[in-house]
Amino acid sequence: MHAAEVSHIAKSFGRTQAVADVSFAVERGEIFGLLGPNGSGKTTTLRVLLDVFKPDGGTVSILGGPMSEEKKNRIGYMPEDRGLYQDLSLEKCLLYLSTLKGVPAKEARTRLAEHLERFDLAEHKGKKVKELSKGMQQKAQIINTILHRPELIVIDEPFTALDPLNTQLVKDLMKELRDQGSTIIMSTHQMPQVEELCDRILLIDDGRDLLYGDLDQIRRQYSGHAVLVRSAGDLPDVEGVAQVVPHNNATKLMLAEGTSPQDVLEALIAQRVIVERFEIAVPTLDEIFIRVVEEGDA
Amino acid sequence: MMSKLWYVARHEYERNVFKKSFIFALVSVPLVLGGTIGMIALMVALDNNSAPVGYVDHAGLLADPIPAPVGRPEGGIEFISFPTDEDARAALESKNIQAYYVISPDYSETSRIEMVYLKEPGENVSRAFHELIRTSLLADQPPEIAQRAVGGSSVTVRSPDGRREFHGVPTLGAVLPVLLSVAFLFLLLMSSGYLMQAVVDEKENRTMEVLATSLSPLQLIGGKVVGIVAIGLTQFTAWILVGILAILIGGNVLSISWLQNPSLDWGPILAVVAVAIPSYVLASALMFTVGSTVAQDHEGQQIGMLFFMLFMIPIYALVIIGETPDATASVVLSLLPFTSLMTVGLRSLFSVVPWWQVATSVAIQTTCAAGALWLAARAFRLGMLRYGQRLRIGEILGKGRAAPMGRNLP
Repeated sequence: MHAAEVSHIAKSFGRTQAVADVSFAVERGEIFGLLGPNGSGKTTTLRVLLDVFKPDGGTVSILGGPMSEEKKNRIGYMPEDRGLYQDLSLEKCLLYLSTLKGVPAKEARTRLAEHLERFDLAEHKGKKVKELSKGMQQKAQIINTILHRPELIVIDEPFTALDPLNTQLVKDLMKELRDQGSTIIMSTHQMPQVEELCDRILLIDDGRDLLYGDLDQIRRQYSGHAVLVRSAGDLPDVEGVAQVVPHNNATKLMLAEGTSPQDVLEALIAQRVIVERFEIAVPTLDEIFIRVVEEGDA
Repeated sequence: MMSKLWYVARHEYERNVFKKSFIFALVSVPLVLGGTIGMIALMVALDNNSAPVGYVDHAGLLADPIPAPVGRPEGGIEFISFPTDEDARAALESKNIQAYYVISPDYSETSRIEMVYLKEPGENVSRAFHELIRTSLLADQPPEIAQRAVGGSSVTVRSPDGRREFHGVPTLGAVLPVLLSVAFLFLLLMSSGYLMQAVVDEKENRTMEVLATSLSPLQLIGGKVVGIVAIGLTQFTAWILVGILAILIGGNVLSISWLQNPSLDWGPILAVVAVAIPSYVLASALMFTVGSTVAQDHEGQQIGMLFFMLFMIPIYALVIIGETPDATASVVLSLLPFTSLMTVGLRSLFSVVPWWQVATSVAIQTTCAAGALWLAARAFRLGMLRYGQRLRIGEILGKGRAAPMGRNLP
C-alpha cells in the first residue's frame, strides 16, 4: 500500500490551470522529492494531496484511501507560508497546534521540551513567535510538523532561511524520521538536498509531470550523454562526440545522439590513445532539471 | 471530533479574555454606566437640599402649628413661619433657611405665591410646600379624604389586550427587556468583532492552512463560535453581577424608587433572549464570513461597521416604535434579521409583543443563522488561502468556478 497516490489530478482556479495532469505514488518509508520551477504547480499538488483543495479531476489516495478527519492526525504538513500564531509565545503556539493533532497536553509538553532542546530553541520558548528570527520560526514550524509523530510528513521548502548548520540539523532529522518508518514528501528548489535525501523524485512543470522515478535510475538515464576522459597525450577527434569541454584535469566529451560511451572508449583504444581515466559523467540533478524543463518548454 | 472543537473554543476564549483590551472593555462598560448613574444620583441628591424653608403667610392659610403631612412624605423638609418678609429675608441671608415662600393676602382669589431664594431649591422643596398647602386647605376634611386629595390617584395604564400594565413610575421589570436588548446587542457586536479579527489574523499569518489540515470546517467554525459565545457569557455574567449590585445600591442606598422591590415580567425577557440567541449566531457567522472574505484587517472592520448600522436601525426608529409599537413598521422591524433584537426589546417597553411575532422572528433569525453558517463554511473553504485577495460574493454563492472544497461543505 502506498503512503500516497495521485492519479491524473487537475486543478484550476478560474481560468488559471494550476495543475493539468500529475500522477505519482509515494512508497512508505521513503523521502520523495517534488521538484519544479516556480509556479509549476507543486504547492497546489500538495494542497490537493492534503485535501485542502478538491481536484477538478483525477483521484487522490492518502494512507490507503480518501482523506478523513482521523488521518489528519497521522499527517504532518509544513506549508511554504509559515503558519504560526505570531502573537502567541512559541511554547503556547506549538502546544495548541499539537493538541489539534490529537496529542495529549502532557505528552505534548514532554515532546516539545525535547524538540526545543534539540533545535536550540528552549531558551526562546517564552518569546512571542514574531520576536523570533526567520530561521528560528522555520525550525519552530518543523517542530510543529513532526511533534505528533506523523506517519506521513508533507513539507514545502523545508530549508528556506536555514543556515548551513541548521540545514544539516534538518537533513539529519529527515533521515532519522525515514529510518523510523515515516514517509516524507518534500517540495524544494534546492537540488543538493534532494540529491542527498530523496529516494525518488517527481519533476513537474506547467502542471504536468515531466520526470518521475528512482533518483539513481534517473541519473543513469541521463548519464549516457557525456564521458570524462584523461589521457597521456592530446585526445584525437573521435566520431560521435558533439562537443569537447575541459573539465578539471580531464576532458568532458559530450556525446552525439546515438553514440554510447562504449563506442567512444572503443574508438579511443582503436586510435591507440593511452587512457588513464574513463568514466561516465553523471549529471547533477541541477543539470537534469534544467535539461528536462528546457526540453519540456521546447 | 468534539475534543478538537473544544480545544479551538478554549484557545479562542483564552486568547481574547486574557487580552488587556478585553479586560478594559469588561470593566469600563459597567464603570462608565455606573459612573453615569452615580453622577445623576449625586446631582439629584445635591439638588435636593434638606435645609429648612421659610414662609410668610399673609393669607392666614396655614395653621400654626402646621398640620402633619398626609399622603406621600415630603422629604423631611422643615417649614418655619416668619411674621414679615423682612424676617424671612434676614433668615435667608443668614442662611438659616434655603428659601422662603410669601403667600399673597389674596391667595384664595389669585393663588399667588412668591418664592425667594439665593440658590434655587430642588424639586423636593416645591413638592413638599404644595403638599403643605393642600393639607392645610383640607384641614377641616376627614383625614382619609384629605389623604386621597393630597396623594392623588394611582393610575394604571393598561394595554388594550389587558396583558400589560404600567403603574406611573417605571419599574425594573418594564425596562429590563430594553436593557437586555442593549446588553445583547453590545455583546453581539463586540464578540462577533473578535471572531472576525481572529479569522483575519489566521489568514494574514498563514495559520489557516495548518488549521485546515488539522481540523474539519465544522470543528474550526464550531469551536470559534463556542469560544466567542463563552466570551460573551463571561462579559454578560460580569455585567449581570454589576447590575445586581447597582440595583441593590440604587434601591437600598440611593432610594431610587423603581429599583426598590423589583418585580420581573418574564414574558418580554424570554422574548428578548429567544430572539437574541439566533441573532448572536447570525452575527457571528456573518462576521466569520467577512473575516474569510476580506483581504485585510481594515476591510473587515469597515464591513463590520455596516452590520453595526443595521443592528442600530431600531434606535433611529425609536420615536416610531414608541408612539406606534404595534404598527406595521414596528412589527416588520421585529421580524427582520438584524433589527428584531432591539425592536422586540423596545416594543416590550411600550406594548406587548404578541407571541406569534416573537415565534416568527425567532424562526426567521434561526433560518438566517443557518444560512449564515452555510455561507461561513463556504467562505472559509474558498477564502482561507486567498492571501491578499478579496473573495467575491458570487464565488461564495457558487456562481464562480472556484470552489476548492465544495464537495465537503457541511
